[in-house]
Amino acid sequence: MKYLPLIWAAILRKPTRAILTLLSVMVAFTLFGLMIGLNATFDSVAEKARADRIFTWPRFGGDGVPLAVARQVAAIPGVKAVTAMNFLPGYVRDPKNQVFVLMTDQNVAKVFGDYGVAAEQWNAVWKDRTGIVMSQFQAERWHKKVGDTFTMISKQVKRADGKTSWDFKVLAVIEDMPQISNGFIFGNYDYIDKAKPLADQGKVNEVDLLADDPATSSAVAERIDHAFANSATPMQTITEKLSRSGSDFGGLDIKKITGGIALAGMFMVLFLTGNGIAESVRERFAEFATLKAIGFTDRSVTAMVVLEAALPCVIGAALGVGIAAFLARQIPGLMPAGFGLPLPTMSPMVMLWAGACAFAVALLSAALPVLWLRRMDIATALSGRG
Amino acid sequence: MLRQIFIVAAINFRSLRQRLWRSMVIVVGMACVIGVLLSMLSLTEGMLAAYIKTGDPGRALVVSAGAQSEGTSSIARDNARLIMDAPGIAKAPDGSPMADPGINSGIPVIRLNGRPAYNNLRGFGRMGVMLRPEFHLVSGRMFRPGTRELVVGVAAKAEFKGMNVGDKVILPDGEWPIVGSFSTGDLLDGQLIGDTETVMKAIRRPAYNSVLARLDSPASFAEFKRALTSNPALAVDPILQSDWYKKISEGFSTFFKVIAYGIGIIMGVGALFGCLNTMYAAVAARGREIATLRAIGYGAFPVAVSVILEATALSVAGAGLGAGIAWMLYDGALGAFGSNVFKLTVSPALIGLAVLWAVAVALLGGILPSIRAARRPVVEALRAT
Repeated sequence: MKYLPLIWAAILRKPTRAILTLLSVMVAFTLFGLMIGLNATFDSVAEKARADRIFTWPRFGGDGVPLAVARQVAAIPGVKAVTAMNFLPGYVRDPKNQVFVLMTDQNVAKVFGDYGVAAEQWNAVWKDRTGIVMSQFQAERWHKKVGDTFTMISKQVKRADGKTSWDFKVLAVIEDMPQISNGFIFGNYDYIDKAKPLADQGKVNEVDLLADDPATSSAVAERIDHAFANSATPMQTITEKLSRSGSDFGGLDIKKITGGIALAGMFMVLFLTGNGIAESVRERFAEFATLKAIGFTDRSVTAMVVLEAALPCVIGAALGVGIAAFLARQIPGLMPAGFGLPLPTMSPMVMLWAGACAFAVALLSAALPVLWLRRMDIATALSGRG
Repeated sequence: MLRQIFIVAAINFRSLRQRLWRSMVIVVGMACVIGVLLSMLSLTEGMLAAYIKTGDPGRALVVSAGAQSEGTSSIARDNARLIMDAPGIAKAPDGSPMADPGINSGIPVIRLNGRPAYNNLRGFGRMGVMLRPEFHLVSGRMFRPGTRELVVGVAAKAEFKGMNVGDKVILPDGEWPIVGSFSTGDLLDGQLIGDTETVMKAIRRPAYNSVLARLDSPASFAEFKRALTSNPALAVDPILQSDWYKKISEGFSTFFKVIAYGIGIIMGVGALFGCLNTMYAAVAARGREIATLRAIGYGAFPVAVSVILEATALSVAGAGLGAGIAWMLYDGALGAFGSNVFKLTVSPALIGLAVLWAVAVALLGGILPSIRAARRPVVEALRAT
């Protein structure tokens, strides 16, 4: 610590250089924070995924399978609870504003109890067919509050009365699930079912269920696929755990991409700080010679150089991650809606990584100048011929 | 004046070697920025190119009213007949309309990385191949109409498992052998194709997804469209196939561009600070030389311009390096997003963008140091050590 004034003086010798170096480091760590923060989000989504929840849907698309499939799924050994849902896809005002409502049956609370819809909120939906529960994200997106009417157009789902618009009443607005980055809207299955022409009624798009035991859920999923494989309604089944694991985004390996970008940023900064510190040491070669001449050890000179390199790195990293945290909150407003790429989170792990990288950059950039200083011939350096 | 700029810049560049490492900060910084930016944009660019290539302005696609994708569109059989009888469609040698009602279904497959995904299974009817002159078999043979056989695009095996000739694809009621592979040079290269009617029976679809028609001439689209939209029995959207692919590519291309440019801007700002740093140092190092030039009558402007030129040259060199790396790594490589498989592209337009980016950073990063260089009092600079 007693060297701090010396290091400080060294940094302030060229304030422009010091500030610009700090700023570039800060920017690189902003990028680093966003990238590694995105990885952290993927990890936390995978971690929070329920091991016992299973999704199953018609393997080959189409407009749904009979409701009976849900009952058949419920009868499969190892299945605890089952809920059936119909999707209502559509848009609000303009086809660009895509939205969809999950129209579920009354067993939904048994399977999605963790989504935070209170029992009385569900009851309100079951009492009022047109009722919906919106998550905060969706409520903000459509500027809705409890009591408002939410109207959407669906060209995909045919109504018996020939209309394409669907009116809903917002009965509750609840908190978002961190792993569902685009929020969600729950509605009443009966509303969509009874609105359809008779021939289209009694169909479901997805059946979600809980396994008795999280340990057996992948076996249960396989059992379901197997049970329906040769039926008129082959199903595609996946556990929530598997569907949320990894960092796959439509076939892109997000972790590989973010890692590469973060690395490129670090390399850029390494070159920059490395040059800065090398220059700073070269300019003060004679001063270091003096220090060594009056008895400073190699170790203390090394410590001074490393600290001089580390100071902008560490401060820059801290500022950068802070800015990343701020930017991450602005991203939803910048992105076209409906894409569902999770937002970066600045978890302690991200900060740890940022700190480690900052020190690594500092050490690497100080390495060469330190070597010079250790090898320098004090007499030559002092005479100014170094 | 120009002569002065030229001379000052020449002296400047000749002394670059003495400032090599410091100058490399700009080169390396810009190489990182552009390497990352172009690598990301090669995905968007490649996918867009594949979409644009798939859409032929000589063909019209008919989907149900308001449909945003072929998968969510539905055309009933008798409606398909009405559409194919509409005026404006080119005629095959036997006199029948060159139009084909098609099916387009996602079928579950496994990516090479082990993740579950969907690939597109398309149905070709009698006119499927005649409508698409870009289609040609590469190996094996074509599926036989009425038979449970498939052909696969040449690029599918780069992303999904089990996409080789001889492999079997699981569909309801059993496995379908892949009997041949084809190439179209567009998005279909990642997909599977079977006989429309047979596929529909297998996946239990009562209706087609869309109808594709070759137009008599580009001008006949208006007639075709009018006939369909004025027919009260139909609720469909006719659209030029090229416009359709433009439309459905908008969402993802904006999304990817926002991300890529966002990251490119953040990194660019980082490089900008590096550029400022280097150029301030360069100006300081050249202090005496600049002062001497000014003393013997060179103007402030040529001195300032020479600083900006140096920054630009270094920055563009770095951008070139970065673009070269991105080009070597990704140009022509196969990439995938969703169910699409396509070639990544580092196009000349992207390289132009890289140069633009580099010039922008150099101008912003060179202007302040250049002003300092030009403004520094001559006497003071000459005295400084």
